[in-house]
Amino acid sequence: MSTATDSPRTGAAHLGGGTGGTGGTGGTTASGSRARRAGAPGGALKYVLQKLGLFVLTLWAAVTLNFILPRLMPGTPADAAIAKLAQNGPVTEATRKAIEAQLGIPKGNIFEQYVSYLHQVITLDFGTSYTFYPQTVSQLVSTALPYTVILVGVVTILAFVIGTLIGVAAAWKRGTWLDALPTLGGSFMSTFPYFWTALLLLFFTGYVLHWFPTTGAYSATTTPSVSGEFVVDALYHSILPAITILITSLGGWVLGMRNAMINTLGDDYVTFAEANGLKSRTVAIRYAARNAILPNLTGFGLALGGVVGGSVLVEQVFGYPGIGYLLFNAVIGQDYPLMQALFLMITVSVLVANFLVDILYGVLDPRTRK
Amino acid sequence: MSDTTLTAGAASAGATSPAASGSAADAPGAAATPILDVRELSVIYESAGQTPVQAVDHVSFQLKRGEFVGLVGESGSGKSTLGFALTRLQKPPARTNSGQILFDGHDIRELDDEELRRQRQGGFAMVLQSGMNALNPVRRIRDHFIDIYKAHGHVPRDRWQARSEELIGKVELPVAMLDRYPGELSGGMRQRVSIALALSLEPQLMVFDEPTTALDVLVQHAVMDTIRSLQQSEGFTAILISHDLGIVLESTERVLVMHEGRIVEDGTSRQILDDPQDEYTRMLLSHYADPRAEVVSLPGFEDRSVRRADGRSRADSATSAPSVATRGKRSAQAAIVVDGVSKTYAPPRRGEDPVRAVRDVSFTLEPGQSLALVGQSGSGKSTLAKMITGVEAPSEGRITFGDLDVAKLRGKRVRELHRDVQMVFQDPYAALNPLHTVEYILTRPIVNFTGATKQQARMRVRELLETVGLTPVEQFAQKLPHQLSGGQRQRVVIARALASDPQVIIADEPVSMLDVSLRAGVLALLEDLREQWGVSLLYITHDLLSARLITDDILVLHDGQVVERGDTAQVLQHPQDDYTVALLDAVPDPRRARVSA
Repeated sequence: MSTATDSPRTGAAHLGGGTGGTGGTGGTTASGSRARRAGAPGGALKYVLQKLGLFVLTLWAAVTLNFILPRLMPGTPADAAIAKLAQNGPVTEATRKAIEAQLGIPKGNIFEQYVSYLHQVITLDFGTSYTFYPQTVSQLVSTALPYTVILVGVVTILAFVIGTLIGVAAAWKRGTWLDALPTLGGSFMSTFPYFWTALLLLFFTGYVLHWFPTTGAYSATTTPSVSGEFVVDALYHSILPAITILITSLGGWVLGMRNAMINTLGDDYVTFAEANGLKSRTVAIRYAARNAILPNLTGFGLALGGVVGGSVLVEQVFGYPGIGYLLFNAVIGQDYPLMQALFLMITVSVLVANFLVDILYGVLDPRTRK
Repeated sequence: MSDTTLTAGAASAGATSPAASGSAADAPGAAATPILDVRELSVIYESAGQTPVQAVDHVSFQLKRGEFVGLVGESGSGKSTLGFALTRLQKPPARTNSGQILFDGHDIRELDDEELRRQRQGGFAMVLQSGMNALNPVRRIRDHFIDIYKAHGHVPRDRWQARSEELIGKVELPVAMLDRYPGELSGGMRQRVSIALALSLEPQLMVFDEPTTALDVLVQHAVMDTIRSLQQSEGFTAILISHDLGIVLESTERVLVMHEGRIVEDGTSRQILDDPQDEYTRMLLSHYADPRAEVVSLPGFEDRSVRRADGRSRADSATSAPSVATRGKRSAQAAIVVDGVSKTYAPPRRGEDPVRAVRDVSFTLEPGQSLALVGQSGSGKSTLAKMITGVEAPSEGRITFGDLDVAKLRGKRVRELHRDVQMVFQDPYAALNPLHTVEYILTRPIVNFTGATKQQARMRVRELLETVGLTPVEQFAQKLPHQLSGGQRQRVVIARALASDPQVIIADEPVSMLDVSLRAGVLALLEDLREQWGVSLLYITHDLLSARLITDDILVLHDGQVVERGDTAQVLQHPQDDYTVALLDAVPDPRRARVSA
């Protein structure tokens, strides 16, 4: 990438989105995406096409914003790199030339730059990293991505599924210990900061009891491959970070689902289903939970979108080489090309996840298809 | 929906419930044991941190097989609580704390959950008040039927389709409805579906809890007709719970009147109508009248034409004092002129026709006049109100208030309009912010419109409360909306409308959500405001009786068009348009029904 600067402001904004895999219920966005109801005549295809159109439009806007924002900053990336070097002593003209040649300076007018930027985005060419020089951004991201997607992705889905089930049970058995335990526990656990839970687990199960490895995604003695031995080793290393994320994000889903379900339990169709003598399992699952889950799906979509951003704190504490770890180092090292690529990736994955949830919504809620 | 189809359906379904066939009611053995025998039943509400409320207080009654009984009472009388207790659907904090409910000789309070569940087929069924919300929005109508068949196994799988079609036909809906989602059906259709679902249980006892309350007038009438004919053809025993004595007397043979948790009167409909024993029943009855009658009077309301002939105001003729403080009438007042107004909304979906909510309506509301705007929902009456208050702009035509052209007002001039033209809304429960005291609610418009000082506003709040009859004022000023009854809340809403000292009040169904005993008070308040203060009133309603009581002129709207207009008493006594006749026929009138029966 030729001009790779990004303002700290957008960085912060995206960071917020990136760490969104924490299992919040996403109340405001829930209404937002539901308000975006299709107004066109019926037909599943039409609904999908409409959502797809909206997705493409938003995607284009996000990509373009990613192009415009860095250009609003004064100076070039070369200036930034030189300024960094200048702290250690005077920079010669030759060095400046070399850096400029290496990083590139914007060529052509703004439209030509835009076209070449789009080309780079499509070919996933995001330039060279500053901090991990001489590796390219694409290399770094493709190495880190599997770790994060598998760890955070699996745990996020697991947390949603388990949390939702517990929430359903708690609401259905409202007022019993089956409700009190998860509700209290859920509120308690979700107030733990990530890093604190992580440190506690690390200290006791890692350093004191030596049950789990304390750092990395695999042992220093193994090399990444698709062998059974490596997979077992990687899974072993992922247990502690997985538990940490699960503990802190589970509570949100439990509470969200419980509260939504308590609302639907008060709805007339649930009372009427009971009056008609339906089996309590049918009433709980097909009537109450089936409707209660709808608003939670939006939160789930956001959480899934946030998966790609990794879990910065957890990955940092466990030295887990995922996207969050990369992002942290990129921000610390003012590695603009890397940051810009990561932010773009996070934005795109949030959009994709939202698009998928919209489609899922259409499948699950006939009212959105109208 | 003849008896033969039912017998065929029930027989092939393998159902053996005795009440499923009409003849069972006449069988000598069956008639001896009551289907339902309620003994000293009490239901209590126990909310944490609040004093327990005895909602149902030692109630006893019996139902014979095949009877159609009405259970009448105002809100808070315990009638719905009783209905829920009878079908064991009550949920905490409600609890049945004593008594027996013998259904077919067995106390249903003794049943465990699974026995109770099984009892719901061939036993007792319930149709809920808000039938429109009684269907699962994410399941097709067909699946609702199938869920019931699966739960009870009383219909073999190969009969599912046929049985569902038969049931949907019984409630007069087309078979195609089975493939629809609830959201695609109108409120009346959904209530019919829930009746069909309850019927699919082949119940011996059906409890209808306000089955038509949430529906539009004309639809209400049609759904009640269906319920009546089903009760006769299917022969189930039925309890009709309603706040509307008119509907109940029109439909049922026997009526239980409930008041403050007790049954205060139990008699045949004719007895209740001709010779009510209890004070409370007499009070309820006194609030019914036929809007087409020559002379229409209610407690506190002498007939309008009689009054006008004698030149007396409502308060003169009533024993009660005027509900508003006397005050000089306004001198200079402006008329609202609605001239050829139409409102067209963009089509709800592409490819459909635009919605013509109001079509070429013209009328004038003179200072001090009271004009009724009647029609069912969707007739365009509320859209007109929105245009007059400037919330919506007419697509065609012009609305003027004095020299103000309502649609063209901007900024300060809008305030002028809102100071002089105020709205009273339908739902007093939703029209008040639950977080603010009455004092605060009334202070806002006073300060906004008149720029009064704190001290002046304080005085004015007390005046207003006095005006709408909320005394002692100091007490009411400090209350929060939830501490008030529906009628009191509606008085606060009216007081708020009066805060700016308006010339015109637009009241949109101001009493439709109130109990009959409270309606008269609110109507009297509106009437007195007009007579004593000279405020003109645009009264929007579907309730022809109240229109007859408090308006001089009437405009009947149908599909956005004026189909009839004139002097209120004249129009209602001699309606010319079919639609007006239909509206009049939909008014439940116990006496008329009994005479024709």
